Amino acid sequence: MKRQVDDKTILDKFAERFCGIIEKYAKYMVCSGFVAIAHGRTRGTEDIDMIIERISKENFFKLHKDLIKNGFICMQSDSPKDIYDDYLKSGESIRYVEENEGLFPPEMEVHFAKDILDDEQLKERIKLPLTGLNIYFSPVEWNIAFKEELLKTEKDMEDAKHLRIIYSSEIDEDKINSIKDRIKKMRLKR
Amino acid sequence: MRNKTHNEQIERWAKYVKDNPSRWKEKLKPFLDSQIIISRRFYSKLAETEKGRKKISLLRNTKILISS
Repeated sequence: MKRQVDDKTILDKFAERFCGIIEKYAKYMVCSGFVAIAHGRTRGTEDIDMIIERISKENFFKLHKDLIKNGFICMQSDSPKDIYDDYLKSGESIRYVEENEGLFPPEMEVHFAKDILDDEQLKERIKLPLTGLNIYFSPVEWNIAFKEELLKTEKDMEDAKHLRIIYSSEIDEDKINSIKDRIKKMRLKR
Repeated sequence: MRNKTHNEQIERWAKYVKDNPSRWKEKLKPFLDSQIIISRRFYSKLAETEKGRKKISLLRNTKILISS
């Protein structure tokens, strides 16, 4: 597949630059809407969702410092201690933007892996050549399962449909159903 | 609930992407980039006034001060 560097969108370049820094400190994966968009889904977004492994405070401080050095800024706070203690550790997401863009979109929404489902996706994370991007994504089956079983908005169902068509000959339907069962047990139980 | 033709458009475009892996991006790039460009242009305009900057902070749920 031939694709020129110039074909890369603002979102693509932002994602690759951000992921290149994160990869030095933590295992990450990009999931949800951007997976579909990177596969050609025609819809907008102003943020990209990223899950990273739970890392120590010390390691996060290094990661945050590197992001700042490279022109990113966290929208929640300038204090890495506050970001870690008040947000990441308590399961809240944080958002980084590029400072030279006036703090405007796109944003990278980052949160820690919160359970075994996130941990497994991180273990199975994958680069998807069809996107032409040098970043890790959560596997397609996981994305479809989450969108169809948990998220379920019109936008998410359309994202899932798009991915199903793109990967129609590769998708493991048994795996999707098995993930859906686990989502029901772990995320939907009350 | 979106209509039938919308669903058909999703299928039609997804099939185009699948069948044209080296061509879809050049067609989609202006559309995707324009949304970010329009959003940035709007926020820049809004950030020209103090009231606008406060609105941005509310809209974007940020504790960081937006500069003009």
